[in-house]
Amino acid sequence: MDATTAVDERGSAGGFNAAALAGKYLTFSLGSEEYGLPVLKVREIIKVMDITPVPQVPAHVKGVINLRGKVIPVIDLRAKFGLPAQDYTERTCIVVVDVATTRERVMLGVIVDAVSEVLNIAAAEIDQTPDFGEQVVTNYMLGLAKVKNTVKILLDLDCVLGAEGALGGRIS
Amino acid sequence: MEPTGSPSGDELAILAADPEMLSMFVGEALDHLGTIESVVLQLESAPADVKLLNDVFRPFHTVKGNAGALGVTSVQELAHCVESLLDLARAGTHAMGPDEFDIVLRAVDLLTAMMRELPERVATGAPSAVTARRDALMEAVDALIAAGSSAAQDIDGAADTSPVVEAGAPVAARPGVTPRRASEATSTIKVDTAKLDNLIDMVGELVIAQSILAEDPNLARSTDERLGRRLAQLNRITSDLQRSAMSMRMVPIRQVFQKMARLVRDLSRQSGKNIELVLQGEETELDRKVVEDINDPLMHMVRNSVDHGIESPARRAAAGKPAQATLRLSASHEGGNVVIEIADDGAGLDTDRILAKAIAGGLVAAGTQPSPADVHQLIFQPGFSTAEKITEISGRGVGMDVVRRNIDALRGRIDIHTARGQGTTFSIRLPLTLAIVDGILVAVGRERFVIPAFAVRESLRPKAEQVHSVYGQPCMVQVRDRLIPSLHLGDLFGVAGAQHDITSATVVVLEDNGRPTALIVDELIGKQEVVIKSLGHTFEGVRGVAGGAILGDGRVGLILDAGGLAGLLGKGAAHHAA
Repeated sequence: MDATTAVDERGSAGGFNAAALAGKYLTFSLGSEEYGLPVLKVREIIKVMDITPVPQVPAHVKGVINLRGKVIPVIDLRAKFGLPAQDYTERTCIVVVDVATTRERVMLGVIVDAVSEVLNIAAAEIDQTPDFGEQVVTNYMLGLAKVKNTVKILLDLDCVLGAEGALGGRIS
Repeated sequence: MEPTGSPSGDELAILAADPEMLSMFVGEALDHLGTIESVVLQLESAPADVKLLNDVFRPFHTVKGNAGALGVTSVQELAHCVESLLDLARAGTHAMGPDEFDIVLRAVDLLTAMMRELPERVATGAPSAVTARRDALMEAVDALIAAGSSAAQDIDGAADTSPVVEAGAPVAARPGVTPRRASEATSTIKVDTAKLDNLIDMVGELVIAQSILAEDPNLARSTDERLGRRLAQLNRITSDLQRSAMSMRMVPIRQVFQKMARLVRDLSRQSGKNIELVLQGEETELDRKVVEDINDPLMHMVRNSVDHGIESPARRAAAGKPAQATLRLSASHEGGNVVIEIADDGAGLDTDRILAKAIAGGLVAAGTQPSPADVHQLIFQPGFSTAEKITEISGRGVGMDVVRRNIDALRGRIDIHTARGQGTTFSIRLPLTLAIVDGILVAVGRERFVIPAFAVRESLRPKAEQVHSVYGQPCMVQVRDRLIPSLHLGDLFGVAGAQHDITSATVVVLEDNGRPTALIVDELIGKQEVVIKSLGHTFEGVRGVAGGAILGDGRVGLILDAGGLAGLLGKGAAHHAA
């Protein structure tokens, strides 16, 4: 639960606490970029499977899958972050994460290009997300980690579903 | 009556520290209060029965003891106060009379309310919302003890009068089957419903995994008899397991019926009508969720029967009917359904007056002559009421439409049988469980959807001349002499590869609330029972989809919602552009 507290501290105070963010992250790639998710929030990693599309949802919501009897939503992070779409390869994965909305905790599948490794990131390696101006939405970023000459973008997916956790109901 | 100070802060300390204890305490207390209520109702018709009196006293004592041990003084004090009254009754120094029964029932209501607000109070630290009511009730109990029994005269008088008492007097609600005593109850354990649901989910998975295995082409080709036998054995075990898992969710309808007994007692007092409630089939089991959700509609209907159905004592006398009216509440299994009936021996529905009212209210065009059955269905229209005076009980025109909506949400149906002067019977037909639905599997492109079978009226392959278009868009399908607005499911949901030539597609005619919709799909695949899974809050705004089902190949198929789809009529083209 360390990761959750870390997010809350950052989110509520608006301050930045590198020590609270230090810990294990699952890293993955989207295009040429590397991202990290707090490992405590990751439930499992599965192969891309047949996804049942759901109507009336934003384009980055790919639909739902059957995770051993539970029906869970799946979102495409490329589409969410505005990266160009790409066909799925044998390295494409669905990372199943726990996300918290104001109403409940839900499991969410996130499609990523490839999963890299679990990294232990120290507080000294973590920097605050700089202000990129209005072009870049930094809502989902916990901070930036410089590891072995690369930058990993540390993500907080709690707000990816929106505060109420509802994605549906968009009828044009 | 010592002043209680502010009981909010300290008395919750123990419970706040132990949430599990809190839920156990509340759950147990509510159980006891339910028992007390039903026994008090029996006691009313036999006030001198010491055994029943003890059955009331004991759970009160337990609630008091538990509350005391956990430091919830507000509950403890109230329970203690009522217990003192009951103790005097047990000792034979204070006989139970109408006022005593009333006050005990009021105490049960208040304690129930206090239990219900307890989790909220522990979470927020808010003071009790009923402190004033509690103090007033405790004073009333004390006053009653001081004043002596209200039953003294009644008991002497009742000995030589017939059991049928005059209207306005307390009415016996005699359950057809007396509730089981604690000693007779089969041994049970309490299980968290989330755990139970999880188990049922997993069993559902097992069934699907088993069917995937059974349909595996390698196994199907196999000629090994032993393997076949073993698979059949596995099949038997899984279906047995599924059946018993499902049965765990089933609970008897008794608890709901007992609430009705209390309701009828109170209503008959308020309205001055003398009503005997007959309960039948309380043992009938149905899904826990259905039992929870049927409570409110049933309450509305019982109120309705007492207020509109059953005549005033004067009118009954004029019609030559017995002074005591009968309201029968019964439950039984019929096929794969449960049928709940609410039957009164009142005046019956006045078809002419309903029709006149409907015409006046603009619900029916003047001059039309609908069949009596159609007229009866009008009472389920929003805003409909024929009550001449608005009473406290009913007549505001809200209720029956809400009842109908609730029953629809449970995938049930209401039928009315009525005879002028003889009474009305409402039958509610409900599915045994909400977890499983009989579905029609349809294909659109490479997607498959499940349509609940109860919503499907028919399906057909339309000929070109049956399809009518407006502005170049096919939007009506003629079925016999009826034009039905159509929806292209592929376009509506943006499914790639859907069949656009309607004459090679299949039309499924759905019906929701009497409104037909012609749903255009590629083809019908077949019938299948599916386990309904919620899509969660994430997709709650999506219209036309009721949930998801895991299909035989492990993929998720969306379950369509006929009502939601009908609401999307005319929006299909707009979505297609998106």
